[in-house]
Amino acid sequence: MATTTADRHAGGDSRDSFGRLVLAEWTKLRSVPRWALAMLAAVVLTVLVSVLAAAGNSYGGGGPGLPIGPDGRAVRDQFYFVHQPLTGDGGVTAKVLSQIVVKGESREWAKAGVIIKESTKPGSQYAAMMITPGHGVRLQSNFTTDRAGSQATTTPRWLRLTRSGTSVTGYESADGANWAQVGAVQLPALPRRVEVGLFVASPFAIKVERQFGSGSVRASPTSSTARFSDVVVTAAQPGQPPPWSDQAVGGSDRVPGPLLGGASQAGGVFTVTGSGDIAPSPQDVDGVRESLTGVPVGVMVIIAVAVLFITSEYRQGMIRTTFAASPRRGRVLAAKAIVVGASTFVVGLAASFASVLFALPILRANGLAAPVFQVPSLSDGPVLRAIAGTAAVLALLAVLGLAAGAILRRSPGAIIVVVVPLLIPQLIAGALPLAAARWLLLATPAAGYSIQQTTAQPYDFVSSICLPEDGCFTTGPWVGFGVLCAYTAVALAAGFWLLRRRDA
Amino acid sequence: MNATAGAEPPAAAIGCGRGHNLGRALHAEWTKLRTLPSTPWLVVAAAAGTVAASAALTASVDTSLCPSPLECHEDTTKLSLGGVQFGQVAVVVLAVLAITGEYATGTIRTTLAARPHRAAVLLTKAAVVTATVLAAGTLGVLGSLAAGRAILPGNGFTAANGYPPPSLADGPTLRAAAGTVLYLGLVALLSVGVGTAVRDSAGAIVTVLTLLYAFPMIATLITDAQWHERLEKLAPMTAGLMIQATRDLERLPLRPWAGLAVLAAYAGAAMLPGVVLFATRDA
Repeated sequence: MATTTADRHAGGDSRDSFGRLVLAEWTKLRSVPRWALAMLAAVVLTVLVSVLAAAGNSYGGGGPGLPIGPDGRAVRDQFYFVHQPLTGDGGVTAKVLSQIVVKGESREWAKAGVIIKESTKPGSQYAAMMITPGHGVRLQSNFTTDRAGSQATTTPRWLRLTRSGTSVTGYESADGANWAQVGAVQLPALPRRVEVGLFVASPFAIKVERQFGSGSVRASPTSSTARFSDVVVTAAQPGQPPPWSDQAVGGSDRVPGPLLGGASQAGGVFTVTGSGDIAPSPQDVDGVRESLTGVPVGVMVIIAVAVLFITSEYRQGMIRTTFAASPRRGRVLAAKAIVVGASTFVVGLAASFASVLFALPILRANGLAAPVFQVPSLSDGPVLRAIAGTAAVLALLAVLGLAAGAILRRSPGAIIVVVVPLLIPQLIAGALPLAAARWLLLATPAAGYSIQQTTAQPYDFVSSICLPEDGCFTTGPWVGFGVLCAYTAVALAAGFWLLRRRDA
Repeated sequence: MNATAGAEPPAAAIGCGRGHNLGRALHAEWTKLRTLPSTPWLVVAAAAGTVAASAALTASVDTSLCPSPLECHEDTTKLSLGGVQFGQVAVVVLAVLAITGEYATGTIRTTLAARPHRAAVLLTKAAVVTATVLAAGTLGVLGSLAAGRAILPGNGFTAANGYPPPSLADGPTLRAAAGTVLYLGLVALLSVGVGTAVRDSAGAIVTVLTLLYAFPMIATLITDAQWHERLEKLAPMTAGLMIQATRDLERLPLRPWAGLAVLAAYAGAAMLPGVVLFATRDA
């Protein structure tokens, strides 16, 4: 028994002595009242700023602007429709002769083709076969389903839709003789009587304009024109085909009158001009990130504490006592990193959880609510990832601060080398060209914040704006987090190396 | 305290002439500041960092993304001076260390023993620091404008496209340039004030940087236009840097000089408690 104790005191059991080292560092951290207060202040400041920012946010216009789709979410449903009623089973076939985008630059997702739609009411169910200038032939239904056909973007192209009960099948053909099935979709609530016909849509051209010091996103209406021939509506029930009628579905006052479109028919050729889009409403506000606004403020305090955790030992000469007691310096730094990282993680978790908990309801009350916005819930996976990820980012930044402190041994320098690369990119990104902004926010420690992203762009068939300064990273949440991890690892390794080489 | 004391070297040497007293106090503060090992580096960092960052920012913006160069509506003077947002970090550290450095080493007690009038001590110190920063800032601003003149035409911002090279002969550009130097001086005063109140370099630097940077960062996250504008008017850095605007002034939340006045108010609000605390607290 006595030998064991002696062994322990001599540091024979290395695992145990590392445990004691961690305990010693923890005692140092918690016994400085200023630091404990600072950590508390970090939490309070983070939550306070998050809540105040949430109270100052508003998300204009919930309901009236956008129609509601079959799944209860807001959608865009605006196009020019040449239609006739169809009762029971049947189908529609058309040859798209040409498709021209008349005005605007948003060519990629201009749509022309055949459609079967519940009614002319915006937001009602539909299935459509279409050709797009940028993405070939597509079969889309009920706003959220998209299936690719051939990559053909050249006209003429034959398109066909047939209805059988609740199932709608789409076909395409290059010559009108050999047909290929693109897919079949189920529209369970499709009524017996539907509207079938031709449609043309052309989404808003979204232009990101950035000037040094300010940026703006402008959406301007576009219109496209398509010519159709060989339009045939087949009905299971024989009878005189009803006459064609045409109208702009979902005309909005944001679109100037002439752009709403029109249709004419001459000698079996339909010329249809339309504007708008049939698509889910893009999710460009990240509610969780908006409720974590206070984090960039709280992180400053945390970095200061983490840096001081080692530089104050240098200033007071305490580091020599520390190294005398534990000559293996790398282990001292490791113990410090574990202590400061773990305590910051706990503090950060409290701060980010409380921020989301308090700020999210305020954002909801300010208009970040269904149906226009997806309402994040605290139990969603991405939300939990954002909360825990924010705590992890704070812990990593604290360890980065500690490593910088170990390398530079002075607090001003260490604080600057961590804080400046963290703050400046976030600050100037909005003023830089998009490519430069994306690069800057992925190549600096600020990249870690990408873990807060909760709205992945779920629909790749809707062109949307993804601005890095709004927390939208095309690379997803993990790449940026990895970049921060790499920075921390490199700094820590440099710290280890210098500590072992240098005099204390 | 006779009026002619200032003219007599022996009297000044004994230290009873008020004018010379101030001169010597300034000289003492200048000696302390310039002999800090960090000061030369920070002065160089403030000037060179501003120029380098300005050049990098200017180089990253060109007309290729605009429908036509004229439609970029770029404020080339403001763009050329953008590096101040980096360079000011060195100014903050320099100004904070000028006061907290004395606390860290205990020199402050010697200083106060030599010159017991505390408010005067702090004000002379602030004056010396500000003068140093103004000199460094002038170099940084002139260098940034020169870099801008060299880089801008290559990026499509030519006189033919409606972007004459930034020149000090032009009134708004002169205002932007002089105002940017003043901006740095006010940031230095703010830092001295906070440093005096906090007495700890880490705490003071973090406080000033948070004040400068966190405000505008939060402002970018606020979607409500009214709140956004309020924050921009209140943030010391955003408001202060409105002095750099040379075009589309009507779109700014504040007039250029009014914006700089906001920063001046912050500097004053930091110096006042700094002086009071300095005068009343034990060193």
